[in-house]
Amino acid sequence: MPGMNTGLNTSDPTVVAAFKHALLHQGIVAFLLFAVLVLAWVSVREFWPGSIATAGRAEARLPEPPARRLLRIGFAVLWIIDGILQGQPAMAVGLPSQVIKPTAESSPSWVQHLVNWAGTSWSYHPIQAAAGAVWIQVGIGVWLLLASRGRMSQLAALTSAGWGLVVWVFGESFGGIFAPGLSWLTGAPGAVLCYSVAGVLIALPYRYWGRQLTGRLMLGCFGVFLVAMALLQAWPGRGFWQGEMHGQPGTLTAAVQSMLTQSQPSGLADALSWFASVVRTHGFAINLTAVIVLAGIGVVFVSGRHRAARVALIALAVFGLADWVLVQDLGFLGGMGTDPNSMIPMLLLATSGYLGLTTRPAAEEAAAAPTPAQAAPEQDVPVREAPVQEAPAQAGVGWRQRLQPGNLLGALGAAPLVTVTSVSAVGVVLLGAIPMAAAQASSAATPILAQALDGSSAPLNSQATGFTLTDQDGTRVSLASFRGKAVLLTFLDPVCVTDCPLIAQEFKEASQLLAGQQSHVELLAVNVNPLYSQVSYLQAFDREEGLTGIPDWRYLTGSPAQLRPVWKSYGIVSETLPAGSMLGHSDTAFVINPDGRLVEELDFDPGPGSEATISSFATELANAADQALNQS
Amino acid sequence: MSRHRLATSLAGLLTLTAAAFSAGCGSSAAPPAGSRPAARGTAAANELAYSQATSQATWAVLPMGATSGPNEFWQLFLLPAGRAQWALDTPPDIATNGAIELAGLSGTSIVTGVRPSLYLAYSPVSLTRDDGRVWAAAPPAEGLADVPDALAATPGGDSLLALDEAGQTSIASSTSTSWTPLVTARALASTAPGRACGLSQLTAVAYSPGGERLLAGDCDQPGVAGIFTRTAGAWRAAGPVLPPGLASSRIQVLRLVTAEGRTTALLQARTGRRTELMTAWLGTGGTWTTSAPVSIAGAAVRSTAFGPSGGLAVVLSTGHAEILSGLGGSWHQTPLLPAGRAVTMALPAGDRPDALTATGGILTVWQLGDHGTRWTTAQTVKVPIQYGSSS
Repeated sequence: MPGMNTGLNTSDPTVVAAFKHALLHQGIVAFLLFAVLVLAWVSVREFWPGSIATAGRAEARLPEPPARRLLRIGFAVLWIIDGILQGQPAMAVGLPSQVIKPTAESSPSWVQHLVNWAGTSWSYHPIQAAAGAVWIQVGIGVWLLLASRGRMSQLAALTSAGWGLVVWVFGESFGGIFAPGLSWLTGAPGAVLCYSVAGVLIALPYRYWGRQLTGRLMLGCFGVFLVAMALLQAWPGRGFWQGEMHGQPGTLTAAVQSMLTQSQPSGLADALSWFASVVRTHGFAINLTAVIVLAGIGVVFVSGRHRAARVALIALAVFGLADWVLVQDLGFLGGMGTDPNSMIPMLLLATSGYLGLTTRPAAEEAAAAPTPAQAAPEQDVPVREAPVQEAPAQAGVGWRQRLQPGNLLGALGAAPLVTVTSVSAVGVVLLGAIPMAAAQASSAATPILAQALDGSSAPLNSQATGFTLTDQDGTRVSLASFRGKAVLLTFLDPVCVTDCPLIAQEFKEASQLLAGQQSHVELLAVNVNPLYSQVSYLQAFDREEGLTGIPDWRYLTGSPAQLRPVWKSYGIVSETLPAGSMLGHSDTAFVINPDGRLVEELDFDPGPGSEATISSFATELANAADQALNQS
Repeated sequence: MSRHRLATSLAGLLTLTAAAFSAGCGSSAAPPAGSRPAARGTAAANELAYSQATSQATWAVLPMGATSGPNEFWQLFLLPAGRAQWALDTPPDIATNGAIELAGLSGTSIVTGVRPSLYLAYSPVSLTRDDGRVWAAAPPAEGLADVPDALAATPGGDSLLALDEAGQTSIASSTSTSWTPLVTARALASTAPGRACGLSQLTAVAYSPGGERLLAGDCDQPGVAGIFTRTAGAWRAAGPVLPPGLASSRIQVLRLVTAEGRTTALLQARTGRRTELMTAWLGTGGTWTTSAPVSIAGAAVRSTAFGPSGGLAVVLSTGHAEILSGLGGSWHQTPLLPAGRAVTMALPAGDRPDALTATGGILTVWQLGDHGTRWTTAQTVKVPIQYGSSS
């Protein structure tokens, strides 16, 4: 998966500082969003007294069913935790290479292709992507937490389901369901799939939550799932029955041992180490226990018996929490954990199902607590309330009139505080999603990768030394002939096997970024190899790198006697190294403004040459050319 | 929930998911840089380790450094006639991760081509006329094929002949700027001599002592050695007539080397599980002479060495070498060769054979002791490999 590799350390100070800066900046915006909306709401209610009267009518409601409340609040808290985990400093650089790529490695090639596409895209804009993920997840969590009923709550739930699916597919490689070694114990079918399921359930109209059938169905489906997972766990030939095979750890042993590689508290590491040795020596017994427990709990859940379901739920909680600690290693440690793995969401779903099973029917609920909605207990109560929440002035008017300042203020004053803060939470989600989308609208990667790899450019201010050499077409070309244009100048070896082809790609992509200014920019490379200095080598290099069709690209050469003064005047060292090594030379790019003055020197070691880094250097080049044109 | 509200909710969800999807997971505005082909590996067949001698010098090519990847560097060594010490003579200013091809040996002249590796997709060609003191570039070739004789030159290197990875053969002069296509393996296979041979692939190119271009390959038809030349505008079979004992054998041309006015072909004949090697020599008179075959059972050829007077040595996977002293000579087996990451032999003019082993950055030269039963170290050469320079 070459596209994701940026060659940067996950704690690269340049990227981490930019990430923190972006988080702080967007955090202030999020805070202001909340503050302004709440302040406006308070002000309107203070100075627009008419709106308060209507708002008061909306306060009479049915209580939220406990099963739904548990799901909503539970997954809201999980999203907020996930969002905070996304804010870890290593996420910007590390998520594609340390989380997404390893997760996909054992999956089929089509999954890897899909995931590589996503990871590469993240690598192009690591700051925007990482910060966006933080705010989207925190925003969804806060939104779910605040919007307990009505349209806003359902929309929050569907958003949670949608984003969960995106993360499940691209972040978790479909939870590994297409990879070998799938096991409930290690997190199958992916934690975030639970978020999506929960989102869909929360989005169900209230009337479904008032029926025991819903709880029975939830628990029944969960039971069938557990039985299926037990069957999978028991399936022979997958390495779960053996703690050790031919001196190699069995599948579960290897999974536990792999968790030991990440940094974590010593007590937890000791527990994991102990459990790994237990699994290694008693693999069969451990797997048999897992199969029996999963199948047993699953069967009880399917049966739908209240008392037995309670015992099974307790057993699931004990078993699941033990697995969470001893197999899944809590999931969020090591600096790259993105969520607390699957056990907590699983337990939330199961508990919610149990609560649904034991919930009194909505009719009884309504009888116990008379409300204005009592007359229609089977109806979707919050939905029926919704028109009441609107200001009287809004009723029966068109959208143009609703958007008039007076009506907007009236609606704001009439809205309950929860609605106002929910809107703020939507704003936080958009605060993450919009910059991410905007970054993606550009096909060019952020220049910060190049700056992190090679440092910032050095400003120069001297006249560029002139030269006359021969280009790849055999035409004599002088630097002076490009006066009036910005010139990007580099030095390349046509028989180089690593850096020079990558730098050529960076220039090629810069040319594409500068497509609208081709008549104002010239891309020049000077041959740096005194032995392979013939035009035929420049042509071979251009063919190899796909540079033949680039109109503003010129690769220049000459005799060694002509080339050496040029190298010297630009500080380029061309050094013959022994024993089959390619020529040693510095990777540098210069920016010459239209007045013929050297204005910038860019360190141009291309790093790993991934799509993201090539694009990043290209962006840096294009920006430098733009700047040179604008400053002249 | 009313239909209207459900639609509103779904629309909102879709908008948000689309934004996040496009944000987190790429967009239709795909970056163009991805279209670049990935860096190729550096693995070259170990059979590319070999040596070749003329009356004035012996040259040897071996892989050194790491066993694969960008830290594996192929090295060229030179032993001038009358000298006892081998010296490093790898061509400068070019990364040799993809192996070195030798051609046009004559006196102190030699042509080298470097196989593609990493991001280098074509083959730089260079030549020296003074044992490597001064090198000059010849026109760059398409990526040379992964066989020892993918590049050929007339003595002195004036005319060049190349076989590339796509099975295309091309010609050039050392002073020209480009190569001219000659024929592809597929086109040659469709000619009358190609069909008679059942040519499956080209494996070697050479100039005959008379300056004719020779193309060689593997034949699917038994009893035919696939060597071809072009005369009077048509391709014709130019290989040796094989002894009746090989009439049912499939013949592969493993090597085709011209030096000192003689072309030497190393042929491998397979009949069922039986594998034999045979040598054929083509002199200036245009007639072939063949050696007796030698059985190598199920062993594989690991490297080869050519002497100045028609002799050759074949290093086998058994760890032994079979040496043929020259025209009219017979095969004899050497004692077990010294171990090394790469092993080849050298047959310098008028001297005892050397065994060359390369491990890491050390080349060790071995010679047989007086009794001819044990190899003893004659020289070690420490090669200053620039690890990391190609990565």
